[in-house]
Amino acid sequence: MNIEVSRRRFMQLAGAGAAGTAIGALGFAEAEAQVSAHVKPFRLVQTKEARTTCPYCAVSCGMLVYAAPSKASSGKLEVVHIEGDADHPVNRGTLCPKGAAAIDYIHSATRVKTPMYRKPGTAKFEPCTWDFAMERIAKLMKEDRDANFVEKNAAGTTVNRWTTTAFLSGSSVTNETGWVTYKVARGLGLLQIENQARI
Amino acid sequence: MPSGRRIVGDMTNIGEQAKPPFAVLPDPSSLFLARAERLSALAPDHELGPYLSFLAKLATAQHEVASDLPPALLPPDDRMARSLAHGVPPLSRATIEPDDIMLAAVERLVARFGAVTLPSETATAIAALRTGLRSDGHRIVGAALKEASPAQDLAQRVLILAGLQVHFSRLAAMLDANALKPVANAACPTCGSPPMASTVVGWPRAYNTRYCTCGLCGTMWNVIRVTCVLCGATDGVSFRGFEGQPDTVKAETCDTCRGYVKIVYQVSNTALEPLCDDVASLGLDMMLAEEGWKRGGENPFLLGY
Repeated sequence: MNIEVSRRRFMQLAGAGAAGTAIGALGFAEAEAQVSAHVKPFRLVQTKEARTTCPYCAVSCGMLVYAAPSKASSGKLEVVHIEGDADHPVNRGTLCPKGAAAIDYIHSATRVKTPMYRKPGTAKFEPCTWDFAMERIAKLMKEDRDANFVEKNAAGTTVNRWTTTAFLSGSSVTNETGWVTYKVARGLGLLQIENQARI
Repeated sequence: MPSGRRIVGDMTNIGEQAKPPFAVLPDPSSLFLARAERLSALAPDHELGPYLSFLAKLATAQHEVASDLPPALLPPDDRMARSLAHGVPPLSRATIEPDDIMLAAVERLVARFGAVTLPSETATAIAALRTGLRSDGHRIVGAALKEASPAQDLAQRVLILAGLQVHFSRLAAMLDANALKPVANAACPTCGSPPMASTVVGWPRAYNTRYCTCGLCGTMWNVIRVTCVLCGATDGVSFRGFEGQPDTVKAETCDTCRGYVKIVYQVSNTALEPLCDDVASLGLDMMLAEEGWKRGGENPFLLGY
């Protein structure tokens, strides 16, 4: 399909210059050379359009996130625009006001970028690591489950209930993630599971 | 709900939803005129101005020829139905047989265009082409539909393709757009040609969707955005344009196949036209070639890039 390109490369290697182009062949080699001279001082910049899912609710609208070179820190890209993804079957280009304003959420000075931990008895949240957060949550869950797990009810029937903890899961998840959430939570005996799958 | 009150329409519909048609067929009565206007608007103060003015005259000639040719003849219905059933474009340029009307489109374009003041290179090519068409028309027109061979005269090939644009747009206009089926991202569903460029359109009901435009018949077909038109990759697709310049024409580059096809944001500037703005942004191709990117779009007026 790209035979012209390889032909041009061949012509260039053979020292024929612009002779291998339609523009040159039709007699406009001079204009072609002017374009070449004109663009020399320019620099190419790379921008991106990324497809993602709106973080707000379980409708999970598709978003297109536009990124361009950052003015603040060189060599990095920053988000410059967000709009509904017209190709996405869920929202076909539309977004609700919250989704449409998601760029402010990204650039917000108060945006939380790490897990936060408020120690018992203190009034302030402090950043912590994911490892710390996961271990802390697991430990507290196990303690609570060990203390309050109900294996049999008053009639002696096996029920395996853990009613003192509730489980809140993510909203913008796929069927598969929802299935895993349910299996893990019910496997522990949890009964109160919320993952916005009702929408 | 209180009786007598009826909610009309879908209350959950919170904006204009895009329902892009898969294919949009060309209208030969406006296609070339629109190109001529856009090229004339681009030409002043442009480094490639003389060439753009030349192409504007060529597009005007294409428009004139398109309006006074006898009706074009589609291949037999059963043949087109068989092609569609097997995922082959109904007017596949690889198999279509040159007929007298196809030849007439090229001959008339060359004759009409020959009356314009032209660079000597073009004039020579036209003279040679007119002689060639008289003696061996079907063969040389047929050859232009196939892949370029180094033996073929490039200027003549461009002129033949310009005539074939007229013919194929008239053929395509007679098809049923709803019957067309996707062939590949990088192949026109009407004639199988690679796209010249892609366009993010601002049409009602298709706002912000992307269409590839065929360099031969002018059919536009929908391809999902941020996907490499050439290899289908979705990872490593990014956009390259000139720093500090309007970013309405960019190259969609693909790290997987190292190729690119230009993308024209008609949604931001309705004046943009894929064929014309592809030619006018030649500088971008030159810069990208220096960085080792391979042009995937095939525009008859940029052959060689």
